[in-house]
Amino acid sequence: MDFEWTEEQDAFRTKIRGFLAANLPDDWEKFSEHGPASPALTAFAREFCVKLAEVGLLFPHWPKELGGEGLGPWEQQILSEEMWIAGEPRGGQYMNVNWIGPTLDKYGTEEQKARYLAPITEGKSLWCQGFSEPDAGSDLASLRTRAVLTDGNYVINGQKIWTSYAGLADTCFLLTRTSDDRKKGITILLVPMDTPGITVRQIPSLIGEGDIHEVFFDDVTVPEGARFGEEGQAWEIIAYSLRNERLGIPRFTLARAALDRAVAMLRDAGDFTREYVRIEAARCAALCEAAGTANYAVVQRRVDGLVIGAESSSARYATVMAERAVCEFVAEFLPEALAGASPYLKMHHQRGIVAGIAAGSAEIQLNIIASEVLELPREPR
Amino acid sequence: MLLSLNEDQTQILDFIDSLARPYAGVPMHDVSLALTSAELDAALVENGFLDVMAVEELGPVTAALVIEKLARLPFAIEAAASAMVRPLIDPELPRPLCLVEEGQTRKPLRFLKPGASVVMVGPSGVRSFTATAEMIGAAQEDTLYGYPVAFLTALPEAMTAHDAEPAEVLRAWRVAIAAEAAGLLGAALASTVIYVSERKQFGRPLATFQGMRHRLAEDQVMTNTAYWLALRAAGTGDAGDAALALLHAQDAAKRVCYDFHQFLGGMGITLEHPLHLWTYRLKLLSAELGGRGGQGLAAAEAIWG
Ligand SMILES: Cc1cc2nc3c(=O)[nH]c(=O)nc-3n(C[C@H](O)[C@H](O)[C@H](O)COP(=O)(O)OP(=O)(O)OC[C@H]3O[C@@H](n4cnc5c(N)ncnc54)[C@H](O)[C@@H]3O)c2cc1C
Repeated sequence: MDFEWTEEQDAFRTKIRGFLAANLPDDWEKFSEHGPASPALTAFAREFCVKLAEVGLLFPHWPKELGGEGLGPWEQQILSEEMWIAGEPRGGQYMNVNWIGPTLDKYGTEEQKARYLAPITEGKSLWCQGFSEPDAGSDLASLRTRAVLTDGNYVINGQKIWTSYAGLADTCFLLTRTSDDRKKGITILLVPMDTPGITVRQIPSLIGEGDIHEVFFDDVTVPEGARFGEEGQAWEIIAYSLRNERLGIPRFTLARAALDRAVAMLRDAGDFTREYVRIEAARCAALCEAAGTANYAVVQRRVDGLVIGAESSSARYATVMAERAVCEFVAEFLPEALAGASPYLKMHHQRGIVAGIAAGSAEIQLNIIASEVLELPREPR
Repeated sequence: MLLSLNEDQTQILDFIDSLARPYAGVPMHDVSLALTSAELDAALVENGFLDVMAVEELGPVTAALVIEKLARLPFAIEAAASAMVRPLIDPELPRPLCLVEEGQTRKPLRFLKPGASVVMVGPSGVRSFTATAEMIGAAQEDTLYGYPVAFLTALPEAMTAHDAEPAEVLRAWRVAIAAEAAGLLGAALASTVIYVSERKQFGRPLATFQGMRHRLAEDQVMTNTAYWLALRAAGTGDAGDAALALLHAQDAAKRVCYDFHQFLGGMGITLEHPLHLWTYRLKLLSAELGGRGGQGLAAAEAIWG
């Protein structure tokens, strides 16, 4: 085992930091208070990602055949970490390079690849993920948005909710129901968001503007060619994309950066001499580092080409614990930060509080750990 | 020992209920996280609810009950400091009252606005001044708290010194905040219980999952005991009781702010569900007087020296 980065990896990180230093505006910290899905950040990302693409930093972890640099999962991790610590200047485009692109490449038709891959690699497209519905959150497989195939077209009716980026996205990676067979009746459609019949409503939230939406589908018609994979193949495809391509956002790195920032502010205020504050800070640091190791253990499995199972749930829960601790630390000892004194800590808080909900609840991760890691007998049904 | 409400207390709480009924609903608010109401505030003052402590047959326990009750409303009301701390300093001090620890003036102050009485408590004693527009940092409209807050940017050259013991004011301050937190905890719990009992996933109400039931039940235990500790501290007037009451309330606040938002899933981060109106007040109260660490040290000092 070796817990140090290689020289190449260090150089890669330095390159990213250099790029960020040169390309983020001076008022970036205040600016990044806009949620990652806000109009302001989305517009910024459309220019920023073009520049990233130009220097080979938009999708360096993709294989060379796809135009990437052929770097591995560690480099993808380093890239994600640096972007997320910086407040995610890629906005929603991080999804493109983490899992939408690779999934398109694996399951898409030639026509779909031709249409959608280029805008992703140019840093110009924004996707949204239409999975959750009002009655299908944790129980995603109960989703009901219908797609009916008639005369070579799918006609879609139903509603999605919590859809990040929906207000400004170009395309929706949409889960629809094409038959009543629970998981096997779900089909993916790639739906341009300007298709008639789609209505988007923004939901006012605690995490900044533009983040979450309701999306209504009213006789939305797309050609059969918009189907991604086969009818009923959605569950298999998203299991592939979400487990293998997306470890999740490296939240623990921002949590740690926020903690360091908070400690610096407390020190300046003369409050970092209090023993109980120091002990609590150290506890937070332990949780951040714990989450880091759990996440890295999963990255190692990707490097080794191993199947990734419940260990990703374990890593995600460790991350939720770290986020929770740091959010609470700041709220308890540095309340001024959340009332305007630190845009960075406020940005962290708003992103941190959803760590245990977005992309699947923490409690669902616990169920997975209990069943698949501990192999506990299941609850009687 | 007598732990039931007397007739006066029952009457007062019932009266507050009927007076506050029009304010029990949550108006749509999509920008600020804090709801306030000048009319409600005026009605409370007019009916003397914030002055019950000085009334002999009512006293501090009734004041704590009033504070707890008012905290349950979706609206943020400056009741704690006025009802429980002001009588010890000067019952005539203009409201709202903003309590600040000497040396901690960088903290966001709840309800700070021009005309507010800022009371500074610390080694130099208990002093106050009336805030003017020049001393107040631009209103923090995008604050993450469910209270109107602002920062002090300057202090006046002179303050009014009060003939009150700083330790005694600190004690009352702890009790007041503990009582307010108890009300917030109770309201947040009630709101969460309704949601998870109605919301179904996997073909059953969320509240039928044992993992959630146990955490909610623990949250109930914490909430219930936070209520009793706050009332007891008000009743005994003991410094150790006060510190324990606030320590326990802050412990509970920390737990429930996490648990309840977890249990509501996506719904809990919207402004369309009222949960945040209580939890985002609790978050700020969890920082009061040095947070749990501050209360822990004060309690240990008071109990064991
Ligand atoms: C910021 C944010 C962004 C999001 N972006 C998107 C997006 O772009 N696209 C998309 O499709 N979705 C998105 N989501 C939705 C997200 O995936 C769901 O919120 C999540 O899956 C939980 O579903 P729910 O909100 O319906 O909560 P529910 O399913 O109603 O669950 C609420 C709570 O109940 C508890 N619970 C549920 N089931 C169990 C159980 N079996 N055992 C014990 N406890 C349980 C958990 O505490 C859970 O948090 C986003 C959510 C957030 C907060």
